[in-house]
Amino acid sequence: MTEPYVWWAILGITLATFITRSGPHWLGERLRIPPTFDSALRFAPACALAAIIAPDLLFVGDSLVLTFENPRWMAGLAAAAVFAATRSMIATIVGGMAIFWLLKAWLGA
Amino acid sequence: MVKSGLGVTEAIVLSLLAYAGSAQLAALPLMASFAPIWLVIVTAVIVNLRFVVYSVMARSHFAGLSTTKRIWLGYLVGDIMFARFSALLEREPNYPHRVAYYFGGASCNWMWWQVSSIIGILAATAIPISWGLELAGTLTLIALLVPLCRQWPVLAGAAVAAVTSVIAHGLPFRLGLPLAILFGVAVAFVVDRRRMAA
Repeated sequence: MTEPYVWWAILGITLATFITRSGPHWLGERLRIPPTFDSALRFAPACALAAIIAPDLLFVGDSLVLTFENPRWMAGLAAAAVFAATRSMIATIVGGMAIFWLLKAWLGA
Repeated sequence: MVKSGLGVTEAIVLSLLAYAGSAQLAALPLMASFAPIWLVIVTAVIVNLRFVVYSVMARSHFAGLSTTKRIWLGYLVGDIMFARFSALLEREPNYPHRVAYYFGGASCNWMWWQVSSIIGILAATAIPISWGLELAGTLTLIALLVPLCRQWPVLAGAAVAAVTSVIAHGLPFRLGLPLAILFGVAVAFVVDRRRMAA
C-alpha cells in the first residue's frame, strides 16, 4: 500500500476527523439545537464510555464470552472496585492489569 | 496498523493527522482492498460520530473565540479529555479558566497519544498481542466512568449503552457505538425527567 491511493485515503480520514470534531465548533451558534436535546447531551460522555468499555471487556476476539473463562470482564470489575476504593487512576490500571494477568495465568490462557 | 500492511511512514502520518484510533482501524481493511475514497471518508465519519456529540456539547463554552481557535480546539477533543472536561463543568459550570483547562489537557493528551501511537507503530512486531496490553486503555476509561455514575439517570443510561453496544457489536462501520450512545442518552433523559417529576 504505497501508491498515491494511500495518501488520498489518509487525507480523507483526516477530513473526517475535522468534519466530526471541528464541524460543530465551526458552525457555532449557526447550529440550532432544541434546548431539551441540549440538556440530554450531558449524559453522552458516560454513555459513550460505557459503550466503548462493554465490548472491550466482554468480547474475546469476535465472540461474546460471559463466563468465568474470560478474565477481561473480571479484571474490569476489579478495576472499578479499585477505583471506587482508592480514587486513583494509576492504582486502577496497575491493579486491573495485575488481576488480569493473574487470572490469565491461572486459567492457563 | 503496520501488521495489516500499511507502511511505517504512512501509519505515522495517518496517526499524526487523523488522531483517531478507532476510525483508523476501521478504515484499514477498506484501504487494503482499495475501496473508493468516499467510502473511506464515510466510514471514518460514522466511526467518529461520538465526537460530533462531544463538540456540540462543548460548543457553547468556546463561543467567544475566533473560528480558527474553535476549529483547533474541536480537533483536539478525545474521549478522556472530554470526560474530564464535563466532570469539571458538572462541579463548576462557569469555571473561568475552562478553555485553558481543556486546551492544556487536550494538547497533552494529543501529544502522549501520538508518542505512544508512534512507539506502537515502530514496535508493532516486538510486542505479542497475547499480552493483552490494550486492556490498560479500557481500564483507564473505567476509572473515568465510575465517578460519572453517581446519579441514577447516568447509571441507567450507561447500563443501557453498555448492553446496546454489546448487542450491536457486529454492525458494520462500528455503528453500534453511536447507536448505543443514542439509546443510553435517551434512557438517561427519561429517567431524569421522571425523577424530577416525582
